[in-house]
Amino acid sequence: MSRIAFLRPLGAALVLLAALAGQAHAQAAGKPSCGLNNGQKAGGEPIAIGAVVGKTGPDDFSASSTAAAAYFKCVNENGGINGRPVEYIVADDQWNPETATLVAGKLVRDRKVLAMVGNSSFVECGANARLYEQENVMVIAGVGVPRECFFARNYAPVNTGPRVSATLVAAHMAKTHKARKIVCIIPNIPSLGNWACEGAKGWGAANGVAVETITIDPGSADATSVMLQAAAGKPDVILLNVPKGIMVPMLAAAEQQGLNRKIRFASTTPAYNADVPKTIGKAWDKAFDLHLEFMPIESGGPDNANWKAVMAAYADKAAPRDSFAQSGYLAARIATEALLKLDAKTLDRAKVSTALRAVKGFKSDILCRPFYVGDGARHNANTSGPIAQVSGGGFKQLTQGCMTAEEPELADVRADEKRLGL
Amino acid sequence: MDTLLPFLVSGLGVGAVYALSGVGLVVLFRSSGVLNFAFGAIGALGAHCAWSVMQAEGSQALAWAVAIGVAMAISLAYGRLLAPALAERDISIRSIGTLGLALMLMGFAEWYWGEGPRRLVLPTDADGIEFGDVRLVWTRVLGLLAAVAMMAGVGLLLARTRVGLRMRALADDRGLSALLGVRVLDVDSVAWALSGAFAGVCGMLLANIVRLQPTLLTFLVIPAFAAAIVGRLESLPVTVLAGVVIGVLEACAILLPGFAAFRTAVPFLVALLAILFFRNSTRKA
Repeated sequence: MSRIAFLRPLGAALVLLAALAGQAHAQAAGKPSCGLNNGQKAGGEPIAIGAVVGKTGPDDFSASSTAAAAYFKCVNENGGINGRPVEYIVADDQWNPETATLVAGKLVRDRKVLAMVGNSSFVECGANARLYEQENVMVIAGVGVPRECFFARNYAPVNTGPRVSATLVAAHMAKTHKARKIVCIIPNIPSLGNWACEGAKGWGAANGVAVETITIDPGSADATSVMLQAAAGKPDVILLNVPKGIMVPMLAAAEQQGLNRKIRFASTTPAYNADVPKTIGKAWDKAFDLHLEFMPIESGGPDNANWKAVMAAYADKAAPRDSFAQSGYLAARIATEALLKLDAKTLDRAKVSTALRAVKGFKSDILCRPFYVGDGARHNANTSGPIAQVSGGGFKQLTQGCMTAEEPELADVRADEKRLGL
Repeated sequence: MDTLLPFLVSGLGVGAVYALSGVGLVVLFRSSGVLNFAFGAIGALGAHCAWSVMQAEGSQALAWAVAIGVAMAISLAYGRLLAPALAERDISIRSIGTLGLALMLMGFAEWYWGEGPRRLVLPTDADGIEFGDVRLVWTRVLGLLAAVAMMAGVGLLLARTRVGLRMRALADDRGLSALLGVRVLDVDSVAWALSGAFAGVCGMLLANIVRLQPTLLTFLVIPAFAAAIVGRLESLPVTVLAGVVIGVLEACAILLPGFAAFRTAVPFLVALLAILFFRNSTRKA
């Protein structure tokens, strides 16, 4: 037998083994359930759905659209939207408001998308909210960060946002650790610095907890001074409402100054990243609490398992399985279930927007409470979430149940909920 | 004073590394007439390589050797391969050339290591000198000592050694030095390698004191430039002093309501004031 002839069956065996391994992996992840879930490939004219994400720039926010794309692929393999496939078009705004306007304009006016789903961007809410309202395009966004994402008629993010997240973790620290004085640290980014700690302050004023805000320059090289300034007022808790890249040096500076032994530390959702506990080290074990916008990625609920199964079957192996991905999956599921209630042959933007506004009582074990959109002037349906703690090089969920935020700015949201009978 | 003390102490550490970076910039400028915009990026790349060594359970000594070795190799490679092609051009063109290197190195580091949170821990972080409620950790003390030692070392090198004399001759007139028999490329190599070693040390210290992030470390060259400008790109002691003062002013600026959130502007303000002051004193002269 020649050498090549010998190698051929070996190659075939390897291919077979790889296929079996892949199948075993898919089985371990479970069979995904999407849309009509009938196993029939959708055909006919595609339904255009868009997304704007901040992929290239200071951080990569595209995990939400990657997960949404995986879900739509799964939908297309399982009957589509009543037979029609979804054409999901994702654009990168490069963290640039001008680019965000340009790409959203192309999607809305040229590609005539019927809705936007899974958007996650730092700049596009401010840049595009008016366009979406003028063109009557509804956005079911994955993750919204600045204020504009939660104050637009046509923009409904699935996450809580940094303001509600700070309020919830402040309430937790007051309840669990008897904190009466909290310092909230926030970067001086427009629509964030003057807004995201104010919810905790409002909640504190009504509950006898003094919350002071320190606005920082995120480009500053000197994290030690920020920590010393925060500690100068002898607070019970220092609450970090900053991106993880700034948070880690702040915790390192606090550790060097021995502050972790005198003051409790807490954070909003950005700390929920697998690298954070390993990077900050043992000094923060059981000494750093954080709020999660969704249930933990390893939680055992059936919808969370389905998200993982969708990712295993329809997303790249290297695609992140993080809370951004959870948000994109949820946004795509919300949109799909709303679209399935419509006649696929006569779909237009007005009908789709009306159907998306009518979303009410959407249930998922990834969320603490059912999600809704409604016809309100703004949207912040997710105001809950569990609390976790850094523990053993990972995270441990502290509260089995969910906390729900209460602060003055949510009054209109609560009024809308009452009006909608929620 | 009690309010100010913590920020004075905290600013000393960062200021010391600004000072050290400033010395690294001045030594290259005084020998080859290049203002090295890539100084921060070279240090950042060295620090990231050192972090990778530590992640692979490598020793501290190996990590430092890798950081300094990588930084020296990049600096030397640029100095030998690319810088000579611009040697006869205007000083601004020679300096802008290094900006290209900075962007390439920064882009590579971001692509290779990504944006994930990282921390470069040194054994000297664990303890330090206590000043009331503030601790000046040994890493910052090390930075201060290194700044003073390297200032003295480079001062002696330039003033008392043959290679130092050749470096100064080269900076004054490259063509004439070559005609007089100075081996231009060899002297250049020493200057670029030395500047690379400074970048490696500064990269490690800044990655520890500030944060291990390519973009931020690349642009930390700005406060070092400010320090070097105050020293008129010539005086090493003034550069060191200016670096420390910039660090302390930046830290103390946190106490100014309204300005605190914009305190990264301190180095720019110091550099602008220095330029205005020099302009006025030149006119008087």
